[in-house]
Amino acid sequence: MRRSVSFLVLVIALSVILAACAPVGTPTSAVTEPNATTAVPTAAPADPTAAPVEPTTAPAASSAIELPEVDPSTVSGDINTAGSSTVYPLAEVIADNFKKDGFAGNVNIASVGTGGGFERFCTTGETDISNASRAIKSSEVEKCAALNPARTPIQFRVGTDAIAVVVSKENTFLTNITAEQLAAIFTTAVNWSDVDPSWPAEPILRFTPGTDSGTFDFFVEVAVQKTLGLESLDDGKRMVLEATNLQTSEDDNVLVQGVEGSPYAIGYFGFAYFNEQADLLTAVSINGVAPSFESAESGEYMLSRPLYIYSDASIMKEKPQVAAFINYFLTNVNDVITEVGYFPASEDALNAAKQAWLDAMK
Amino acid sequence: MNHDPFANTAHNRDASGLARRHRTGKTWQAIFFSSTVIGLLALLALLATVLDKSFSYVAIEYKVEPASLAAKPLDELTDAELVNLLEANLSKNRLRTLDRAKTLTQRTHSDLLNLVYENILEPRALASYSISQWITNSQQIRAEVAKKYPHARLEFRAWINGNFLIDPLSGDPLLAGVRTALLGSLYLIAITIAVAFPIGVGSAIYLEEYADKKKWYNRIIQTNIDNLAGVPSIVYGILGLAIFVRTLAPITSGAFLGNADSNGRTILSAGMTMALLILPVLIINSQEAIRAVPNSLRQASYGLGATKWQTIWNHVLPSALPGILTGTILAISRAIGETAPLIIVGAATFITSDPSGPFSKFTALPIQIYNWTTRPQEVYRNIAAAAILVLLISLLSLNAAAILLRNRFSRRHA
Amino acid sequence: MASMEISQSLTKTTGTSISKRLKKQHRPAEKLIQGFLFLCGAISILTTVGIVFELGKEAWLFFRTPGVDLVDFFTTTTWQPSIGKFGVLPLVNATLMTTVFAMLIALPLGLAAAIFLSEYASHKARSILKPILEILAGVPTVVYGYFALNFMTPLLRSIFGESNVQIYNTLSAGMVMGIMILPLVSSMSEDALSAVPRSLREAAYGLGATRFETAIKVVLPAAFSGIIAAFIIGISRAIGETMIVAVAAGSGPAFTFNPFKGAETMTGYIARISGGDLAYDTPDYNSIFAIGLLLFAITLMLNILSRRLVARYREVYE
Repeated sequence: MRRSVSFLVLVIALSVILAACAPVGTPTSAVTEPNATTAVPTAAPADPTAAPVEPTTAPAASSAIELPEVDPSTVSGDINTAGSSTVYPLAEVIADNFKKDGFAGNVNIASVGTGGGFERFCTTGETDISNASRAIKSSEVEKCAALNPARTPIQFRVGTDAIAVVVSKENTFLTNITAEQLAAIFTTAVNWSDVDPSWPAEPILRFTPGTDSGTFDFFVEVAVQKTLGLESLDDGKRMVLEATNLQTSEDDNVLVQGVEGSPYAIGYFGFAYFNEQADLLTAVSINGVAPSFESAESGEYMLSRPLYIYSDASIMKEKPQVAAFINYFLTNVNDVITEVGYFPASEDALNAAKQAWLDAMK
Repeated sequence: MNHDPFANTAHNRDASGLARRHRTGKTWQAIFFSSTVIGLLALLALLATVLDKSFSYVAIEYKVEPASLAAKPLDELTDAELVNLLEANLSKNRLRTLDRAKTLTQRTHSDLLNLVYENILEPRALASYSISQWITNSQQIRAEVAKKYPHARLEFRAWINGNFLIDPLSGDPLLAGVRTALLGSLYLIAITIAVAFPIGVGSAIYLEEYADKKKWYNRIIQTNIDNLAGVPSIVYGILGLAIFVRTLAPITSGAFLGNADSNGRTILSAGMTMALLILPVLIINSQEAIRAVPNSLRQASYGLGATKWQTIWNHVLPSALPGILTGTILAISRAIGETAPLIIVGAATFITSDPSGPFSKFTALPIQIYNWTTRPQEVYRNIAAAAILVLLISLLSLNAAAILLRNRFSRRHA
Repeated sequence: MASMEISQSLTKTTGTSISKRLKKQHRPAEKLIQGFLFLCGAISILTTVGIVFELGKEAWLFFRTPGVDLVDFFTTTTWQPSIGKFGVLPLVNATLMTTVFAMLIALPLGLAAAIFLSEYASHKARSILKPILEILAGVPTVVYGYFALNFMTPLLRSIFGESNVQIYNTLSAGMVMGIMILPLVSSMSEDALSAVPRSLREAAYGLGATRFETAIKVVLPAAFSGIIAAFIIGISRAIGETMIVAVAAGSGPAFTFNPFKGAETMTGYIARISGGDLAYDTPDYNSIFAIGLLLFAITLMLNILSRRLVARYREVYE
């Protein structure tokens, strides 16, 4: 009996020692791939006709930056990505096409949320690319710098998601609202008539994404905090969460069901979810602008949200397959993005991303 | 006087009581039977909703109309003409990859046709109508499709079919298959059972046969195991992440075997995490089974001169086997359907290559199911339903061995 | 005199004295096996240590953030970490409600089905029906979640009226959870009932009991320990179930006793936050560890209580 107990103590001690000695982060292997994809043969990095060299600002509007052509079969190895579930369907299609075009290695994408993606990219250093539906926070950038070897995240804009504010088709009184009305509908108003006396005196039934989602943060920031001129994001969140008749959901499909269920319901979610049920739902215009291809791309629609992927220059150089993948992504994203349900990023933004790629590979 | 001397006997007095007792028994038997039926009905309802979505009528639109490619219908073209079509319309990278997989000129006619459909015509599913919707509303659906998608054709599609099992994951729902996820799940279950079964049965034997129940540490172990059965699966995921993925990374990543470019997020870590998850259920079931073996059996064995371990191995365990197998069945059922801990431990949601061993990155069926049900397009719910069916069928096959063994060993004790 | 001669002659033929041969044999293998088995049991302790350590580490960080008060944590009734409200009662209440609904379905139906399978059904029927019911245990919990949302909730809405039943409600999540736990209870109870020696039943029949009376008054008490173990596992499973409640009970914490309203449970909250977009090391994120620790404590109390109960009432035969 005493022996068994001491054995147990020994095992626990062993595990504690193991825990203390565990390595932090994984070293990326130095893959020797000398010349294949880093050469920039014919395509000029910046527009050659504009004489002063300003690589970071957008070149003349009509020109597009061309990235060197990439042949996926010339690279191999692993590509680890993780992050936003919004960017996931896009990354999935691109990775699938990358494989169909010859990539023999392994691409794996984990859909763990933007925060989770940055955790794996900046805190544990296990992913090569991070998918994000919001810009990286400064605290996350600091964590990346603290890694060994340090990482400097580079932002690549890949697309736009429009958040549609949606009511049921049976709702006949709501077609266009101002930004102030939008803020009021989701915060302080109780009945529809509180916002506009000509609307019915029925309670507003609200359906929103959960508080942990990027969509919620984005909506509160743009539609509530900025419009009402609030000091902090938390004030905006408080007003939204204290509204009456609020139902939140993780799954946008369920929000759709909720909004369809009553003419006095209103909700907001990604445009693709609205589009699938377009015969039962109406997307409301904000300040006269309806969500569409043009208004989302130009940024005119108030609630258009950027989609990003992040990587780091040293990773791209050490793992040519990662650089090739990002190249492929930026080159082909506009061919597939509308099928997935999002909108293309503006040409300027895409050019900036391509330029960032070229700068990273120098 | 015709007084019946037996009129007041115990037998006659009790006659009505006996009938009443029998009636009570019959009523309760009906109640017990209906409870079983309710369980079966719930299962039927579940299966019906899944099957309903596994077959549907899909409105398919081609990106490129077949008529614009060639004058004749495509299946009448010769192999050489099909190869020419492919060479003319595909990007050179795509062409080279297809050729490298199998030379185009050597492919069969149906294979080439498939390639043309998938890569040039690029079918897209615009809408999907489940079986129940079709049966009630077929005219309406036809009219609606004709109006909204004039270029689309309405086809019946069985989402659960042979190709679904063989094809790899894909971003396109029409082409997606679950091969990668199925292999991942099977590898995972194999590791889980290999780790959990010996440890679980071993613990149960220790707790029931060797441990002195009055000692404080044995009581702690018992309470502990009961408690672990109620811990949410996510917490096991967090534990697995800390221990197997991070701390034991040199072992679980295969680094000690020379596999340098890897981290601990492998099937091995996930399997061990799931083993911890199902261990309590396995232990408790095995304990109850061992406890139920009549002591007379043990005493008889000792009386014949057997040692403790010989008694256990030769007499107690075979007797307790049905209960242990029930525990195994319930444990496998739980393990195969878990999503949350796998995501935390690092299962991918999309992966391009099949798992090749315990040290590979992987994905699993429940993760695909969860991912597909949250997509906006209705077609994804169809392939989710098909994946659910694949999972249930795999589960049945895995359990079948345990069930057969259980039936053979189960017998009423004297 | 004669016995000494016998023992001496025996010693001559075998080479050892009788007393030595009759001494207990040392079997090192037995000790080894016992040690290995103890290790197996000890692994569960290590698991608990690991869980408590992992959870406690982060929960400690959570309780030390400014704005989080231990008293408020246990007494206030609003849980909205994003705006600084940390009262855990709504989550605990929702967990208890879903567990109660699940148990109302799983325990009686499971036990009744077990009695039917063990006492009334023929051997062949039992060997078919039992595995079929066990299929229910293998359906992924995600599927159950959507089953609750797409089948159970509309059913409840058609019975009780659309305006009374919200899209998310704890009743439908609880009922579907009960269906999932039913095979656990029924299979384990059936095993316990079948393990009761047949002699007991025969004795009861011999005394004139009907089949029902035998089952309830003789077999059931004999299988008490196994049945309670099944109940304990069922309740533990219900408390710790994540996906079904995450999908069907909603993601809005609410302190309500109305089963037709949505209310987020402890596990649902943990699932939502750990899979979301929140940055790590925020109080919202660390709160999930505190909740996990609380869940652990609740199940521990429950288990200690129930095992005490079992120890008091368990009947042992031979």
